[in-house]
Amino acid sequence: MAVVQPDYSSAPRGKTDAARHRHKVKEAIRQNLPDIVGDEAIITRKENQIVKVPIKGVKSYQFIHGRTGGEGGGFGSGESQRGKVIGRRPKQGQSQGGKPGGEPGTDYLETEIDIEEIIEMMLDDLGLPNLRRKQVRETVIPKGWTFDSVERTGIRPRLDKKRSIKEAIRRTETLVAVLMDQTGRSEQDCRRALAATQGDSTAALRLLESGTVLPPVSDEPEYLLESDDLRFRTITEDVEYQSNAVILAMMDVSGSMGTMKKYFARSFYFWMLSFLKTIYRKVEIRFISHTTEAKLVNEHEFFHKGESGGTKCASAYELTAELIDTEYSTSHWNVYPFHFSDGEDWDPYRTVEATKAVLGRQPAALGYGEIQTEYSASVLMKALEEGLGLGAVQDNGFLHYEGKYNETPILGVVLRSRDDLYPALRTFLKPDRGDLP
Amino acid sequence: MQGTDLKRLNDADQLIREIAAEFGLEFMPQEFDVVPAQKMLEIMAYRLPVNFSHWSFGRDYEIERTKFEHGYAVPYEVVFNSDPCRAYLIDTNPFPIQVLVMAHVYAHNDFMKNSRHFRNSRRDMITSAAAAAERFRAYEEDYGIDAVERLIDAGMAIQWNIDPTEHLHRQNEASVRDRLYGWDRQLPSRGPYNDVLPERPKATREEKRALQKRTPPEPTPDLLGYIIGHSPRPLAEWEKDVLSVIKNQAQYFLPYRQTKIMNEGWATYWHEQIVQRLFQEKFLSAEEHGYFNLYNARVKAHNPRSLNPYLLGHAIFKDVERRWNLGRFGPEYEETTDARTREEWDTGLGKGREKLFEVRRTHMDWFFVDEFLTREVVQDLDLYLYLEHEHPSYYEVVVEETGWKRVKQILVHSLMNSGIPRILITDGNYRNSLQLYMEHAYEGLPLHEEYARKTLELVHHLWDRPIHLQTREPVNDRTRDKLYTADESGVYVRRGGNS
Repeated sequence: MAVVQPDYSSAPRGKTDAARHRHKVKEAIRQNLPDIVGDEAIITRKENQIVKVPIKGVKSYQFIHGRTGGEGGGFGSGESQRGKVIGRRPKQGQSQGGKPGGEPGTDYLETEIDIEEIIEMMLDDLGLPNLRRKQVRETVIPKGWTFDSVERTGIRPRLDKKRSIKEAIRRTETLVAVLMDQTGRSEQDCRRALAATQGDSTAALRLLESGTVLPPVSDEPEYLLESDDLRFRTITEDVEYQSNAVILAMMDVSGSMGTMKKYFARSFYFWMLSFLKTIYRKVEIRFISHTTEAKLVNEHEFFHKGESGGTKCASAYELTAELIDTEYSTSHWNVYPFHFSDGEDWDPYRTVEATKAVLGRQPAALGYGEIQTEYSASVLMKALEEGLGLGAVQDNGFLHYEGKYNETPILGVVLRSRDDLYPALRTFLKPDRGDLP
Repeated sequence: MQGTDLKRLNDADQLIREIAAEFGLEFMPQEFDVVPAQKMLEIMAYRLPVNFSHWSFGRDYEIERTKFEHGYAVPYEVVFNSDPCRAYLIDTNPFPIQVLVMAHVYAHNDFMKNSRHFRNSRRDMITSAAAAAERFRAYEEDYGIDAVERLIDAGMAIQWNIDPTEHLHRQNEASVRDRLYGWDRQLPSRGPYNDVLPERPKATREEKRALQKRTPPEPTPDLLGYIIGHSPRPLAEWEKDVLSVIKNQAQYFLPYRQTKIMNEGWATYWHEQIVQRLFQEKFLSAEEHGYFNLYNARVKAHNPRSLNPYLLGHAIFKDVERRWNLGRFGPEYEETTDARTREEWDTGLGKGREKLFEVRRTHMDWFFVDEFLTREVVQDLDLYLYLEHEHPSYYEVVVEETGWKRVKQILVHSLMNSGIPRILITDGNYRNSLQLYMEHAYEGLPLHEEYARKTLELVHHLWDRPIHLQTREPVNDRTRDKLYTADESGVYVRRGGNS
């Protein structure tokens, strides 16, 4: 037959070489981090830790023709109207997918990547700012248990069998030596006497002295465990001390926070949390959502529940201040209040005051992210800028605000599009590692 | 795939073979392997059923997989110029697509057997590549994966800079020298046109003396071949083996590149004819035929930003057939301007098919398009040239030219040398110090700057001594000389005067 179905169960080669290519493309993925961070599919993904991200492949270089005036071109079919615009191609660095023409080997491909790997790549860039070693109490992180010492008493589950048997052997051998010494009988006889009397040394001595011929017991020496031989282990908890950190995540969930704005805020917190959970073994996170009133919610509610109503951002800061006073004293904790809103605030002056009250308690840093759209009535950033004396800083083309209140750094970012997410993360999570061990 | 399907595929194979033979197609024995999609994507990426490992194949695999998973999968066909001819079918494709592909493959088979451009290619490439893959694996173990990879990177960078006519004049340096001395030992074969060949003047003493030392004796486009033979690095045997494999594979794929439009057009023309017969003979149901039509339309779909070779090749063949049936060619027809006379022109010649078979034997893409692309076809297909206009954050793609003469002229030009810049090695012992000197035959388009620099770095890895590349670049309305030099510290550029 000319048509056959051969067995192709051999190892797929495409995948191994694809891994080799992926290794090369790591740098490209790193450069694409802003795109990836803004990718909705990642944040809404289910359990799966593997996500697919579109990237550009590594180029294969060869001699090719360039362009004369920096403009590319080619042939197509199916259009007869001269001057008609048949498409757009984004410039490099601003691409959101699509297929650029001109150069070969710039096809987009989707590669599978583990979220962990993405976070790994962020590691070089991000960390908690201004993290201090708090002197009084550090968080105790259990690392499991270690065996500490060996004792004669204890509970059965912690019986150290090896040690106990060793003790039995040592005791029996000593007895045999003592019996040989006292009676002048052979080693074998002494062992047999001990076996016959179940290890009772006085009875064995008597038996040996009586001159009885002892029956052979076994070729192997016999050892009997007595309660004196038993050894038990004790255990203690193994701990590690680490600086306390708590993130107080505040988010505006009022009616003016549309789907897109909430998406920004959630994306931001999603990445921040994924990231912090990866690098710090223990970071506490408390979630505060607010409209005109603020309340403590759990993670699920924080990310999934929207509400309607007006906005008083001050309420969130007031609750934060209260939390610091009651649970997270800044003498023990590195406290990071972060707040996201669209900047709409019915009472920005009260918010500035409330913010100052929080800053007066000396948190490690304070971050505010404002999600602006064309139509939002954003007033808060302006109010904070003036009230706290923040200055605008341009970093790699991304505008943010910085200031200090006493010793506390204050960071403000304005998010206008998905592309701003990663720069915003970088601004908030710029580690100053000087103080860290 | 179930056994019954395999049986029906075999029935289809037999029927298609009979119909194709009846149509006059001549082919090598044909074999089809039914494979899972993943294997097919691998074959497409690796270019051969089993080939050596390289990251670029892995990348292409991911590109193919991405396209496949997003459903731009046109009915795949992969066919190799081997004897017997080997082709692949995806096990999950519906029957009408399998039939389309099989009919299409028989026409490719005929093309590869009969086109003179395929005549000299190695028909044992499949087994030879599998053997090379084994050897490369051993090299990776012995010399390290990085060393092998770097070498393949460099070899592949200049894989297309080969001599397309190498098989016509297999020769070594000594014989080239002899020819240039005017000492040809073998006289050129006697043919009817020998008397019009120019007589080569005998070389003077001076010229001979210079020739004795010159390497290569005359400029050669065969970069890899020259480097394999002359690199002062020097290359180890295993390195020469790796580079030779790359060169041989490029040589093997060259005719595919040179005849892409023709080959696909030919196969599309015939699969339509064959499937039509299958339907008439009731081998395909009406529903299946409908399915076929749907997929066939996708095969011939318009692409706004690239020329679909299936579409263009098919349209030209159809047009040629019609014109040679009606006698619409030659000066008398060409010079007729009256639209009505042209419209009604029919000499009853009826030589359409005959002409098709003749063209597929002799032509390659650029002179196929040059000779047969007519105003009618350009207008029927609405062929155009587009340009990208730069805007602050994007390029706008605009239809620039629809005039048939201009579109055709630029298209033909872009098909010459398969669009690869022509680069010749002119001196392998430049400055008498084993430096490599290359020249780009500038034809109006400059080299791509980034690609040229990176490629030179890779070539330098093969040569080790400094290398130079002479080219030109446009400055306003003029051009000026540009000389790239690559050595161990990097790539430099020197620019010369305007001209």
